[in-house]
Formats: sequence, C-alpha cells, structure tokens
Amino acid sequence: MSDDDDRRLLERIAKRDRVAFETFFRAHGSSVHRFVRDLVRDDGLAEELTSDVMVEVWRSAGKYGGRSRARTWVFGIAHHKAIDALRKRRATLVPLDELLGAASDAETPEAAVLRADERRRLEDALTSLSPEHRAVLELTYVEGFSQKEIADVVDCPVATVKTRAFYAKQRLRDALATAEHPR
Amino acid sequence: MMKHEIAELLPFYANGTLDPADRARVEAELSSCTDCAAELRELEALGTSLKSRADGAAPMPDHILDNALARIATPATARAATRLQTAWWGTPARYATAAALVVGFGASAFAAYHAHELATSQSTEAVRVGAPQQITRADTLVYRADDKNASKVHRSMSAGNPQGAADTTAQAAAPPAEAKQHRLAKTARIEILVRDVEGALRRAQSAVRGAGGDVTALADASPRTEGAVHGASLTVEVPASRLDGTLDTLATLGTVQNRAIDAEDVDAAIVDEEARLRNLRREETDLRKLMDKGGKVDEILTVQQNLSDVRGQIEQLDATHQHDLHRVATSTITVTLTEDRPNAVPAKPGPSARIDGAWHSGLNALADTVMSFLTTIVWCIAYAPVPLALAGAAYAATRFIRTRGATAT
Repeated sequence: MSDDDDRRLLERIAKRDRVAFETFFRAHGSSVHRFVRDLVRDDGLAEELTSDVMVEVWRSAGKYGGRSRARTWVFGIAHHKAIDALRKRRATLVPLDELLGAASDAETPEAAVLRADERRRLEDALTSLSPEHRAVLELTYVEGFSQKEIADVVDCPVATVKTRAFYAKQRLRDALATAEHPR
Repeated sequence: MMKHEIAELLPFYANGTLDPADRARVEAELSSCTDCAAELRELEALGTSLKSRADGAAPMPDHILDNALARIATPATARAATRLQTAWWGTPARYATAAALVVGFGASAFAAYHAHELATSQSTEAVRVGAPQQITRADTLVYRADDKNASKVHRSMSAGNPQGAADTTAQAAAPPAEAKQHRLAKTARIEILVRDVEGALRRAQSAVRGAGGDVTALADASPRTEGAVHGASLTVEVPASRLDGTLDTLATLGTVQNRAIDAEDVDAAIVDEEARLRNLRREETDLRKLMDKGGKVDEILTVQQNLSDVRGQIEQLDATHQHDLHRVATSTITVTLTEDRPNAVPAKPGPSARIDGAWHSGLNALADTVMSFLTTIVWCIAYAPVPLALAGAAYAATRFIRTRGATAT
C-alpha cells in the first residue's frame, strides 16, 4: 500500500470511517505487532500495545499533519507506547521455544532457509540487545526506513540514529559470536 | 581502516535510503576500502536474516483487531476522536478552553486561599469571644476530564445561596448534559444541622429504605459531656435513579450545610472489560477444544495449566466488571448529622473566669507569635538561594573589576 493510500485512509479515519480503519489495521497491524513484540519481548503485552496503537490512530487521525509518511507516524506511536510500557513494567521474556513453535506454523519459504539453530542464536542475540538497538535494527533492515524517518519514530537526532545503527550491529555480532563460541 | 562516518552510513546504504550525496561518498569509499566492502556484505547478510525472521514470525492474532474495533465503538473514544478532527474553530476553541482553565485554576486557587484566610480569622475570632463557630459557605462547580476521556463532575452547593448555586449550575449546563450519555458511578455527601440527631437518624434511615436503598455504615457519637455536640454519620446506598430524590428528602431533615455529588464516567472501563472478557472466553473455548483432542500427558498438563490461568483471569475480570456495574446501578451517599443548638446567651464571666480567659488568651498569643516566628524562618530558608545567588554574583563582579583594575595597573 502506497503512502498516498495511507494518507487517504487516515483522512477517512479522521471522519470516523470504520471500514477505512479496518483496512488500515489490516495493512499495518502485523508490522506494528511484530515491531512492538520485538521491543517488549512479551506476546501478551505486544497484543495489548498493538490494540492501543491502533486505537490511538483512530483517536488521533485528525492530528496527522502529513509532515512524514503515514507509516512513520504510526511507528512513532508504536515506539512511544512500547518504550513507555517497558518503563512501567519489567517485560517477561517469552520462552524461545514458544516463539519458534509459534513461528513454525506460518513459516514461509524464505524463513525455512534459516535453520532452527541459527534462528535460535539470532533470537538469543536480539534478546540480549537493548530495546533502542532492537528498534533501530528492525526499522532499518525490516521496515527499510531512512535515518530521518527513524529519528522521527524514536524521537532523537539523526546523529544518534546513525550511532545506534552502528553499535546495534556491533553488539549483535558480538552476541552471535559469544553464542557460537561460548566462553 | 574504515572511516567511522562511512561505517555509520553503511546500514542505510544497505537498505537503499541514503540521499544521492551520501550514497556517492559511500560508493567512492567502497571502491578503495576492502574493510568497507566486507562490512557491507555483513550488513546485507544481517538484513536478509532479519527480514526472513520477520517473514517467518507468527501472524498477528485476529482478536487484536476485534478488540480495537470494540474499543473504537465506545462513545468516549468516538467523541474524543470527533473533537480532534473538528473544523476551523477546533484549535482556537481548545486554546480558549486551556486559557479558561488556567485563569479558572488561578482564580480558584486565589479564592480558596482567600476563603481559608477568612475562615481562619473568623474561627479564631469566634473562639476568642465565645460565640458558636461559623461555617464559611461557598458555591463551586468544577468539570474536568482525565487522560482516559473519563469525566468527573463535582458539584458543591450550599443552602445559604440557592440562587447563586442555580446560576452556577446553569452556566455549566453543557458538560453535565454530555456526561449524562454515559454510565456514571455517582457518590454524594450531605451535611445537615439538625435539632434532634437521633430522630433525624431514624427518619434518614426510613427515607433511604423507602427509596429502595440500605444503610451500609452508621456511626453515632453521643455527647459525653454537657457542652459536647451530638453528631452522627451514616453511609447509604440507593438506586442511582433515586439519588436526587433521596438527597431532597434528606435535605428536609434540617439545615443543609453542604451538599455535593461526584460522578465518574466508567463507560469506557465497562466496555473494555466486556471486550476483554469476550476474548478470554473465546480463548477458554479454544483451550477446551485442545483438551478434548487429547495428546501426550505433558501437553495436556500444559493446556490444563493455561486453562486454569485463563479461568482465573476471567473470574477476576468478571468480579471487577460486576463491581463497576454495581457502582453504576447504585449511588453511595454519606450523610453527616450535627446537632444544631440555639445560641445560648453568654453569662457575664466572674473574676476567676476572666483571669482564666486572660491566661488562655496570653497562651494563644504566645503560640501565635512562636508560629509566626517559625514561619518567618522557614520563608527565609526557602528564599535564601536568591540573596545568596545575588551576593555571589556581586562578589564575582567585584573581584572581576578589581582583577581587571590590577591588571591594567
């Protein structure tokens, strides 16, 4: 779905169009859910937060000024709510087995390329990172956001985004190396 | 050796979002820097892994959409959203409301401070001349909304100025009219001066039972000495629809000193509870189906544990839900009854009473003086940083001027 489509949907949502809301939810709900789940590492909390984010979209669609892409705006709300939730409560880690088991039901051909032990190491390594580093990795490599867009989402200067992206990758590499050759 | 600035740009070169100038800088560096090329390969591999992981992640459960749709169907959410997308007058109206709130808060704070000062001085005066204590009466009406769009209406009316109270109510008619559309949990309190506390207590209980309510707490403090005032308080619950009528009946027991109603909008909370209960019951049904299918012992035990957890959550949430519904269906009134004695003509005090009075007046004056002295010290401590900062600045300026003078010399 293009940014123009998203903007039109937000305009309709601002006029209380429930069909537009449902369309917008189906277009972005999954990626928002995945993003907040990666940040908070808690399935139950991620579900609550996804619902909160989308209800906030419904409430605040009239506030969207169009200065950034609609998707960036939604991810900004999601990031804010996830970090807020992490501050409020210490997130319970989801057992890795559960994550892998849940993922196996909907495994795509691309995902099948990753062997189970590689995925396990990647999950472990991601879990060891800070939420800020996980957010930057997800937004850079999965969502394909630019530095400026990530700065808008996580509400910090572009220079900080660049530094975080650099160190996030370093930390991930260190964590993966430690998992492969435990001391 | 790879340049740090290039290393920081590489992730965004890898995801294809760099602007043309930065992209050209990175490409120029890549052609000559083998470390940069190796780093880029690593980043591309990382991107592929993370994308594959995202593509293979569990799909979002459908009930999240159901939950969000249920939540946006609540009037409170819809109304908040309508306010946000109002036409051209929306923003000025919000600024005007904010300005009115700031001015109103300032005025209220000033009025409260002034009323407190007045009450304190009247009270002190009344004690000194031996007259019965006067109660300062004030009419206020406040409307406010919290961050969850729940609204609270607090109304305080005195019997001393019914016209003023009516005017205030009329001026703020819009917010309560809006609040009526929602499920409100109401509480009220009424303070009444009565000639016969015991008789009033009996009539109050009878009025409450007549309205279909019941007494939930009663405290009757009988006077132990001759000069003490008889007082009693009782807490009652009445059907929400009979709240105003019951308050009116209670008001006929004597002279109303204070009458207040608080209303909390619990509509959003109830709708949210209902949506969460629906989801939990659906989850419970799914788990029961899994149980029925059977399987290995450890799998059955896991499902059983999950089922037990979900059942616990349902019962807990259901209790909260029932409690909220009960709060909407019934209103709580706290009634305070105080004996109203006719003012006795004070007898002319004898010499011993006058000496005693002088002694107590002296003690009171001494206590006032000590308190004023202590208050002054506390004020001085609180304001100390200001003169200290000024003195420090003056000292620094003097030293600077002297040093410059010495250097020039």
